[in-house]
Amino acid sequence: MKKVAALLFISALAVLLLYVVASMPPMGDPDNPTATHVIPRYLERAEEETHTVNVVTGVILNYRGYDTMGEVTVIFCALAAVLAVLGRERRGVIHGFVDRSEVPASVIVKTMVRFMVPFIILFSVYTILHGETSPGGGFQGGAVIGGSMIIFTTIFGLYESSRRIPLKVRAPLEGAAVMGFFLVGSLGLVGGGNFLTYAWPRVAQGLHPSLVVWLTVLVEVGIGLGGAMVLTSILFAMIREEEEIAPAS
Amino acid sequence: MGAWRHFPIFMITVPLLGAVLLPFLGYVREKWVPYASLLPLGTSALLGVLLIGRIPSGGYLSYHMGGWEPPFGIEIRLDYVGLFLMLVVCGITTLALVYSRRYIEKEVSGGRRTAYYVLYLLMSGAMLGFVATGDIFNLFVFMEILALSSYALVAITGNRNAVRAAFKYILMGAPSSIMVLLAIGFLYSVTGTLNMVDLAGRIAESGFTEVLIVSYILLVVGFGVKAALFPLHMWLPDAHSIAPSPISALLSGLLVEVCAFALVRITLSVFTMRASDLVMGTADAVGVAAAAAVLYGGIMAILQKDLKMMIAYSTVSHIGYIFLGLTAFTAEGLTGAMYHMLDHGLAKACLFLCAGNFIYLKGYRRIEDLKGAWGQMPWTCFAFALASLSVIGIPPTAGFISKWYLILGNVEGGKWLYAAVLLAGSILAAVYCLRVIYYMFFQAGKEGAWEEYWHDAPPAMLLPVWVLSLATLFFGVFSFLIIPSLLKAAAYLL
Repeated sequence: MKKVAALLFISALAVLLLYVVASMPPMGDPDNPTATHVIPRYLERAEEETHTVNVVTGVILNYRGYDTMGEVTVIFCALAAVLAVLGRERRGVIHGFVDRSEVPASVIVKTMVRFMVPFIILFSVYTILHGETSPGGGFQGGAVIGGSMIIFTTIFGLYESSRRIPLKVRAPLEGAAVMGFFLVGSLGLVGGGNFLTYAWPRVAQGLHPSLVVWLTVLVEVGIGLGGAMVLTSILFAMIREEEEIAPAS
Repeated sequence: MGAWRHFPIFMITVPLLGAVLLPFLGYVREKWVPYASLLPLGTSALLGVLLIGRIPSGGYLSYHMGGWEPPFGIEIRLDYVGLFLMLVVCGITTLALVYSRRYIEKEVSGGRRTAYYVLYLLMSGAMLGFVATGDIFNLFVFMEILALSSYALVAITGNRNAVRAAFKYILMGAPSSIMVLLAIGFLYSVTGTLNMVDLAGRIAESGFTEVLIVSYILLVVGFGVKAALFPLHMWLPDAHSIAPSPISALLSGLLVEVCAFALVRITLSVFTMRASDLVMGTADAVGVAAAAAVLYGGIMAILQKDLKMMIAYSTVSHIGYIFLGLTAFTAEGLTGAMYHMLDHGLAKACLFLCAGNFIYLKGYRRIEDLKGAWGQMPWTCFAFALASLSVIGIPPTAGFISKWYLILGNVEGGKWLYAAVLLAGSILAAVYCLRVIYYMFFQAGKEGAWEEYWHDAPPAMLLPVWVLSLATLFFGVFSFLIIPSLLKAAAYLL
């Protein structure tokens, strides 16, 4: 009975939503409200106004930077939620415990990972720093660093990898993204504008482009570092949870 | 224009910044975290107090984020009602945080305490941002922080029931978030903008299309779940009663109200066509649901055996009150609803914190166990009684003022039946509150249930409770300080 009711409800919802999607303006039509109202300014003037060649970066970090500040807070909040439920690995506890996350890996795999991880991180640094000129940016770069940490941890185990990024490094950097936004946002006030103003009215016009680019890169670096640390900390917290659940052997 | 223009954005971002700085402090000195977390919230409250009187009751403060003018950038649009609600949020979150330290020391294990304060600050900052924003997607972003942090805070004690309640909450909350997101996507597809004022203008140009109708319904249902409007309230009693008491106070006293406010805001400032069949038809449906909520919540509260469960069902009932005030579409009704957000927030927070005191000292959760509680915990019991009077709506508490305006608004709007429902809800509230008070003061407890001497909760837990309960009295006696401005602001909103 319950299942039938749920099925009926979901079908009704699906029909309703499909109907709406059918009556939405056609996809890709140049006369769409989405294409004629706000977007043209972004596409035509983003480079001149935000000094970022990559329009996407211009929109997410500058025009709608406040939303992105909220989104990086959501990411940080996800970490806090994981830590609230699973708890963080404690100082001292990590030493000398049996690491079941370690997969017995062959020499070839270990060598390959040891060889590859630096290059993966180098690539992510490139992605982060070039966020304002080419596709990529802090979110992508941070995710790549997090991915490299996952590879490293699955092969070498929690002990080895938490020795390389210990808690004392992660704890202050987990919120780097929000801190970066707050710093750049407050600097906007110092420069005579509103919160999150990159182009400072009080600074000579000639300096503007490079100043804006530097501030944008600062925010990108914050997002990248913060994202990487959040992913790593979530990974470590989950491994520790497995440790607790697994029966002692 | 002075520096105060920048205050709202710092009220929002300082708690968020505080939240991201806490993990490091938690690593270095975990003991300092409860004290340090007071700093950002105190800053917000101070900035909010400094803003009083700056925003006229008929006007608003528009702050362009990054200097980009509205539809291109994000706007903070703070009117008198918004500032009022922000101050309520600042006050209650600060008080419940003061309360938290001792309670959390006992209830939450060591490694998770820092996470508690981090989530607490995130939730407070998100509520402030949620109230102040003038951009509909930004509203969603803050709603996500709010939702995510509240799920985790419900589960933070880590025991089985808490995790189960949190999971139930997620099951209801996540689809509602998706509904809101879908609705925003639909709105954007037909208007090409996300700014609320701009949206209103574009909608007025194009008239109502199917897409707009469905997106409005999705918004009502989505925020209805978040605001626990009957019959979408199923998650509330479990989540609110099992969460740690300071969190129950926040969830019940602020979160549901703030979500109700968001729905009002969208209804009034985006779908402005008051006369339109869509908004009025939806308002009728919401009105019926709200009236049902008042009665259902009240009856269920009477049937509960668990004290916190009873208070949680009382919240279901009072959300109905707020919505009944809003759907009256009169200045009095709206004023009553806003004032009810204040006094319900104060009174509910106080009741939950009192319940927390009983749990903290004795571990008593059942109403029957409270028989004779007066002998040992007089301060807590008196605060509980005072806040109960406000919940019932007995003069001179603030609850009386708000219920007066709610009933007045519904009578003015010609909705006599709803006015009668509001009165009936008060009678139900009297039944469930007076039962507890009767047990506390006039019944003898079981042998050995209570100490023979006075042994109440520590001062740090009594102070917030008493500030909250006296505040319900204060805002009842001095309601004339706020009500005229609220009336003007409400008339301006409508």
